Amino acid sequence: MFGSLRLQRLPSAHPGIALAARAAAIFIALFVAGIAIAIAGMNPIELGGRVISASFGSAFGMEDLGVLVIPLILTGLAVAVGQQIGAWNIGAEGQFYAGAFAASAVGLFVPGPQWMILILMFIAGTVGGAVWILVPTLARAYANVNELITTLLLNFVATLLVYYVSTGPWRDRSGMANSATPPLSADVPYFWGIVHWGFPIAIGLAVVVALALSFSKWGYEVRLVGSNPSAAKYAGIPVRKHLITVMLLSGAIAGLAGMLEIAGTVHRLQGGISNNFGYLGIMVAVLARGSPLGVIFSGALMAFILNSGIILQTQGLTTSVVLAITGFILFLTAIGDELSYYRITREKA
Amino acid sequence: MNETENRFTPPSGTPPIVQLKGIAKYFPGVIANEDVDLEVMPGEIHALLGENGAGKSTLMNILTGIYQADKGEIIIDGYDREFATPLQAIAAGIGMVHQHFKLVQAFTVAENIHLGWDQTPKRASRQVLEARTAELAKKFNLETRPGATVSDLSTGEQQRVEILRVLARQARLLILDEPTAVLTPAEARELFRALREFVSGGNAVIFISHKLDEVMEISDRISILRGGRKIATRETSECNPHMLANLMVGREIVLADMRGRGPDAAPVSEKPILVLDKVSAADETGAPALEDISLQVHAGEILGIAGVAGNGQRELSQVLTGVRPVTSGQVFVDGKPMKGANAAAFAAFGIGHIPEDRLHSGLAPALSITTNAVMREYGKPPVSSGGVYNPRSALTLAKDIAAAADVAIPDFGMPVRNLSGGNQQRLVARREMRIADRVLVAAYPSRGLDVGAINTMLRYIVELRDAGAGIILISEELEELLNLSDRIAVLYEGKVMGVVENDNLDIEEIGLLMGGRTKAKEAA
Amino acid sequence: MDILTGLLTTAFLAGGVLALAALGEVLAERVGVVNLGVEGLMAMGAITGIATVTSVPSPMLGFLAALVVGALFGMLFASATVLLRANQVLCGLALTLMGTGLASTIGRNYSGMPAPVTFEPVQIPLLSQIPVLGPAFFSQNILVYLIYLVLPIFFSYLMFSTRHGLNMRAVGENPAAADAAGIPVNLMRFSYVTIGSALAAGAGAYLTLAFVPSWSDGVVAGRGWIAVALVIFAGYRPIMAALSGLLFGLITALGFIGQARGWPVAPAFLSMLPYLGTVAFIIVPVLAWQKMRRAMAAPAALAVPYFRDMR
Repeated sequence: MFGSLRLQRLPSAHPGIALAARAAAIFIALFVAGIAIAIAGMNPIELGGRVISASFGSAFGMEDLGVLVIPLILTGLAVAVGQQIGAWNIGAEGQFYAGAFAASAVGLFVPGPQWMILILMFIAGTVGGAVWILVPTLARAYANVNELITTLLLNFVATLLVYYVSTGPWRDRSGMANSATPPLSADVPYFWGIVHWGFPIAIGLAVVVALALSFSKWGYEVRLVGSNPSAAKYAGIPVRKHLITVMLLSGAIAGLAGMLEIAGTVHRLQGGISNNFGYLGIMVAVLARGSPLGVIFSGALMAFILNSGIILQTQGLTTSVVLAITGFILFLTAIGDELSYYRITREKA
Repeated sequence: MNETENRFTPPSGTPPIVQLKGIAKYFPGVIANEDVDLEVMPGEIHALLGENGAGKSTLMNILTGIYQADKGEIIIDGYDREFATPLQAIAAGIGMVHQHFKLVQAFTVAENIHLGWDQTPKRASRQVLEARTAELAKKFNLETRPGATVSDLSTGEQQRVEILRVLARQARLLILDEPTAVLTPAEARELFRALREFVSGGNAVIFISHKLDEVMEISDRISILRGGRKIATRETSECNPHMLANLMVGREIVLADMRGRGPDAAPVSEKPILVLDKVSAADETGAPALEDISLQVHAGEILGIAGVAGNGQRELSQVLTGVRPVTSGQVFVDGKPMKGANAAAFAAFGIGHIPEDRLHSGLAPALSITTNAVMREYGKPPVSSGGVYNPRSALTLAKDIAAAADVAIPDFGMPVRNLSGGNQQRLVARREMRIADRVLVAAYPSRGLDVGAINTMLRYIVELRDAGAGIILISEELEELLNLSDRIAVLYEGKVMGVVENDNLDIEEIGLLMGGRTKAKEAA
Repeated sequence: MDILTGLLTTAFLAGGVLALAALGEVLAERVGVVNLGVEGLMAMGAITGIATVTSVPSPMLGFLAALVVGALFGMLFASATVLLRANQVLCGLALTLMGTGLASTIGRNYSGMPAPVTFEPVQIPLLSQIPVLGPAFFSQNILVYLIYLVLPIFFSYLMFSTRHGLNMRAVGENPAAADAAGIPVNLMRFSYVTIGSALAAGAGAYLTLAFVPSWSDGVVAGRGWIAVALVIFAGYRPIMAALSGLLFGLITALGFIGQARGWPVAPAFLSMLPYLGTVAFIIVPVLAWQKMRRAMAAPAALAVPYFRDMR
């Protein structure tokens, strides 16, 4: 041990190192994916080139990316907001569907002028998402039941519900397809190409949340409760009230994502409108280290990864590969996060 | 020591039970031990004295195989040994009772005794283990309840379980780390009796403490550690507390009586500023924690609360600061009754709180120093106005507090857990002092700090007292209470056993009150 | 077959998936590690079972292959969480994503295909003649006996009546105390996480080789998550975990019977029953079990990484 290297664990990790660890995780994962592709007999570099040109080489490609960015930023924001208060919202997928469900109900059955329907759909979507997280929220706030599993199990219920209505009572009886509803009576207007106004809304919401957390008294209290509820209690902050408010907000944001997806992109309710957006939102939040502003960038990155999977479907790769790669990135990120606490020093002889 | 007739004297030429030579251990940025030599003879009670952070616990962790030394040798009975795991140290006859017990709270006494022991039978049902435990308790003359769950036991009982565990594995060297912190004076005397009996058979004890009087009473020799090094080893008969204190700290220190007031100090007020009137309260699980407590604190005075930890002190400090509601009785602040628990209202009134566990209740370790520094004033101008939080004003306030606390901070954005314990405590103390116009509740403010940091903390408290606040000082160090308090109340099992003026004080009586007895009962 | 016998038969068969996975997770959580990758492990086990059986017509071999795959993934997870001490929740979610994604990808070639060979029922002599319980339990395939009898009894005895079990439980309650007592904390954690993961994958193979028995994309359908929830409900006890699995098998069986008999409830809602039931079963007992809290309490050091040399 004389004059050798020592490994020491520090009490905190430098944020720069944590971000570098994430970048490394992504590169390693893509490298491994490249090797797997090569083993399967395809040329990873050529495929990569094709993906990049398809994504960035044309206006259509960029618009496809833009459309994917919207739900990913929002679900990532939903998860990140939950983390601010110390809660794991794994139910963003279900809240997404719940928001879509509620917004569809308005869009299919409520008469009125377009602008009014849109506003009602907006409200319905956010309320739907908040309602879907309500039971897990109350269970956590009043009975200290861990919200991770309760929010997650409700995901399956939500997808079943949407599947049921879109193939059953609400299905489009005209035409051959029997697995979707008729088109909704209102659309979110387009913003740029096929990218709708959800894009600036998503980014704007992330900015607003970030500002509120850093520059408001409420935001200070939320951050303190999320970091150490005991200390917050001693400081006289109402812990339970903030827990409930922020968790409901998290659900509402995910519900909004669902509403924007059906009213802006898909224009009808059907099973499978979510491309695992809720689960990928977890990755978005983790990549951004829980920062509401950061999810804008990690959401864009995740959109690129997801889009690549969609593009590569033409080459015979399924989108479930994207899920596996995302999982691998998350795994490496978790390891990297822990390792970033360590420092190598030279011991004095 | 006055029982020299019973003292075991080893025949000449007997090697020491344990010898440490040149031990060194390093941690990030800290030299925990360097060049430490220590030897303990059979039949000896050897005290290891030093302030917090001097390296005593680290040294013992090395001796018991939890840490591995970076340099140096361990010699047991004359043979060179290396302990890569705790199991090897146990096999060599070394047993340690840690300051924070290494007991599994959810297990019974019997299960804890038999944990990780190769003599535990392979088929180990509850009945089998409890029967074996009862036998062991009889053999070593230590009273215990084999079937009881550890979390239900008092700290004194838990300590007995730890000792029995160690003795059952045939320890010849018993190491005790600050054992009397959790005992009443009477329980401490009982422990000393058991220790003397233990060494009379040729065994040895290493007794770690920072309490000078105890060390003088129980030990045969004393080794003093300072800054990770061993400074000296002396025969106890040649020592006195003053000299030991100097060796511990390395400079002349005066164990001061701080009760005197200067000419500018605020006088003790006529009417009390904070009153508890027949207050009862429950703890987290709903069990009664405080029963019918009546206390008064006046402005400009220090009321000390004595008592072994775990007798309701936590709930008392929570009731005094509005964190916990009372189940009966009333809390009066400046004559006005306070309804229910409202920590914010208490703080707004001018009641500050230095909590007993700063990392758990007083700070958010992962958040920045600035965020933690403004925890009491974040909602008011200049930090916030109209709901808007101004980070720049927060930083200014944080800098003021850090300056008053004399803590050098390179980056206010870094997590507060990066600071040392002493720095964290000073920061919390000054933060609370800023809002403590009327009252300061300080719970174990010197816990875990070295002598220098303790002196600073106590000076802050006196400063606040002289400015006219009423101080409630909860402490487990009787000496500290005696040096500071004007009056002392004793807390036992949630009740106030008595309140005495510090002038005509009988230490014997306080000790009895802490143990739940009054002098009259003792005589009866 | 009358309704009750039919119900019970399906309940035992359906519940076996959850019981086995929950048992594996009990082992992991008892040493203090929460493994949220059960869903992904089950998916990998499911596809391994089917893939093996299409090459080698032995369902037992398929089951064993799944155990091996589960153990390998378990070791990967344990290396990250026990040895490197990375965040257990994130690693578990990652494992689920990886396992589900990989299984879906490999499973494209096997989609919708029924298992060419499955576990056949084995009648226990004498016992299978008992009315109701005879056909319902004692005429099931061999894995059912393993899942409901052999494993729970074995692990229960191990954990609560042996020296090894005492040491193992201590690791999950207070790793510092266990370490000071000389118990190899990391080895214990690593081993039981691996075993637990193997069992979870085995539950997936049971799904495609004994219960459904076929593979399709999403066949696991959240059962891994229900199993994790059942561990809490069962108070971290092996026998209770098996019984909890049976309880949910019963709920699932009710759903099947409802569909078969044309009850006036849409199939989608019947499918929701297990999930809603699980949510209810997590929340309600917390309120009702105030007295039993200590007996059903989680290991005190659950999900907390253990650092020995930390200052």
